[in-house]
Amino acid sequence: MQRSLNNSETLSGIIQKPQFSPYTDNGGTVIAVGGKGFVIIGCDSRLSSGYTINTRFQPKLFKLTPQTVLGSAGCWCDVLTFVRLIEARLKMYSYEHNKTMSTPATAQLVSIMLYYKRFFPYYVSNLVAGLDEEGNGVVYSYDPVGHCEQSTYCATGSSSAFIQPLLDNYVGKKNIANAEKGKLLTQEEALRVVNDAFVSATERNMYCGDSIILNIITEKGIEERVIPLRKD
Amino acid sequence: MSIMNYNGGVVIAMKGKDCVAIATDTRLGVRSLTLTTDFPKVFQMGPTLFLGLPGLATDTMTVYQRLRFRLNMYELRENKRVRPQVFTSMVSNLLYERRFGPYFVEPVVAGLDKDGTPYIASMDLIGSYQEPEDICVAGTCSEQAYGMAEALWEKDMDADKLFEAISQSLMNACDRDAISGQGAIVHIVEKNKITTKTLKMRMD
Amino acid sequence: MFMTRSEYDRGVNTFSPEGRLFQVEYAIEAIKLGSTAIGIQTSEGVVLAVEKRVTSTLMVPATTEKIVEIDDHIGCACSGLMADSRTMVDRARVEAQNHWFLYNEKMSVESVTQAVSNLAIQFGDSDSDGNAMSRPFGVAILFAGVDSKGPQLYHMDPSGTYVQCDAKAIGSGCEGAQQALQEAYHRSMTMKEAIKCILTILKQVMEEKLNSTNVEVATITPGKGYHMFTKEEVEEAIKEIA
Repeated sequence: MQRSLNNSETLSGIIQKPQFSPYTDNGGTVIAVGGKGFVIIGCDSRLSSGYTINTRFQPKLFKLTPQTVLGSAGCWCDVLTFVRLIEARLKMYSYEHNKTMSTPATAQLVSIMLYYKRFFPYYVSNLVAGLDEEGNGVVYSYDPVGHCEQSTYCATGSSSAFIQPLLDNYVGKKNIANAEKGKLLTQEEALRVVNDAFVSATERNMYCGDSIILNIITEKGIEERVIPLRKD
Repeated sequence: MSIMNYNGGVVIAMKGKDCVAIATDTRLGVRSLTLTTDFPKVFQMGPTLFLGLPGLATDTMTVYQRLRFRLNMYELRENKRVRPQVFTSMVSNLLYERRFGPYFVEPVVAGLDKDGTPYIASMDLIGSYQEPEDICVAGTCSEQAYGMAEALWEKDMDADKLFEAISQSLMNACDRDAISGQGAIVHIVEKNKITTKTLKMRMD
Repeated sequence: MFMTRSEYDRGVNTFSPEGRLFQVEYAIEAIKLGSTAIGIQTSEGVVLAVEKRVTSTLMVPATTEKIVEIDDHIGCACSGLMADSRTMVDRARVEAQNHWFLYNEKMSVESVTQAVSNLAIQFGDSDSDGNAMSRPFGVAILFAGVDSKGPQLYHMDPSGTYVQCDAKAIGSGCEGAQQALQEAYHRSMTMKEAIKCILTILKQVMEEKLNSTNVEVATITPGKGYHMFTKEEVEEAIKEIA
């Protein structure tokens, strides 16, 4: 084997090495915006690999508890595995402690489960959206190895670069003179900005499109909506 | 790391109603090290014509100087001002001459035609150009700028609205890019007026 | 067939024909040799108190620690074999910290108790990792703490069985103390009343005279969490009942 490789090397000048590449990027974008008494988390429904579209309707939101939703994009097989593991951990928690896990606890668990695979990570961009102790919207964003940040708005996934500055401007009131900093959006405003962000990203990013799937989380429960996007 | 991301910087151009706007950041750096915050990448090439050259700073300067030379020669020979469309061809030609050893710049052209029609164009580093109806974006934070501009741009904006849209697009895009920003300059080109504004923005 | 009843009390894995595990029962008996520990739960918090047997004047009383902190919001009082209690307290602390690490929240009192009871019933577990004890633990523990459900008190015995209690006494004086608690306890008790009550009862069941060296008092409240009384605070509290 080694010899034949060396031969081809001398003949063609090409060095061949067997490679193991366990990751693919299946795209997908997740946005979450929180406010007083609610949080909205949305994803696009396109699943792609390279220049091909695998499916036009693949929800990337996972209801973990009645007030916590996980949005996951990236390597889809890692998403599936990770979500199943976390669902199992949630179930075990509810059996052991006789209560459903709170959003902050879920957020911490996600961080630790990601870091557990520090040296062979899940290739996944996660967003946890839910309600805190006061019933207000919170968003937790992660990198693939478990770095966690709490905020009130965030975009992650393949179109995050397109959307994050828009959220900074609209929701975070960045670069707006005399703006009321820290003022939270109403549910209608948040819905509009999430919708606009997806429409903009879809215009320019191949990996974003087909439709938006929204989860609106309030104390009353989780409302789901689907909004069509460009399919080209 | 691509050579296009060596010095950092971004340029955005937008069309409005009887006006165009072109904006640039003012940073010059070497990768993450900022050298100066006084390096605009947009140059005035005629009474109502601007050229943005984000990319490798050395090529920004060279391409600008060579274009200035060719432009002067054109105006002397033809004894008339260059039209934006013609200028775009000039830029494109200059870049294609270096098809296999290109200048690492992505030019953006913005201006008003003789009759006052807004015109914008952008091209890649070997001169393949497009003349869009709305926005042109180039530079290290082009993704961020596209996201912003796509959301803020509307058809037929007046000069004030256009200024607001392009400024917000540039500033918020630069805030999410470590190698763009540190000041910005916006040019608004109207029929008989050019307004140049320096933006106050985050300097970190 | 010729086995006498006493032969069933050798192994911890063998039930007697009547369905009893004698070693476990003996372990429960062992608690009654331990010093008295009392816990009272009120709506304002939980109070724990134990007697410390100072067997010699040459002994440093501060080295016998029978009330210990598990986490900021949980404490426990032990009675029985103190060496065994160390193992269990250590497990409780590890579980509480692990829970905080995993979930970034305080572990509930019941969950801590459950975790320790899992350790308590591992005796004779010969095919597990080999760390299991060969006999039941000889301690009973009162877990007191404050969590999302409010102040709580749990009692766990060597069999690993645990129950939530309003007030509970364990150790040598437990029968008398439990009787006294039964009479004195009421649901609207304040912390101040509870401290007074707990020391009064402890005084009744102790052989020695109550003083600040032979008694330990701790409170767990929603505001301050676990708080072990200083010598001065104990003296203050004793003065109240004098």
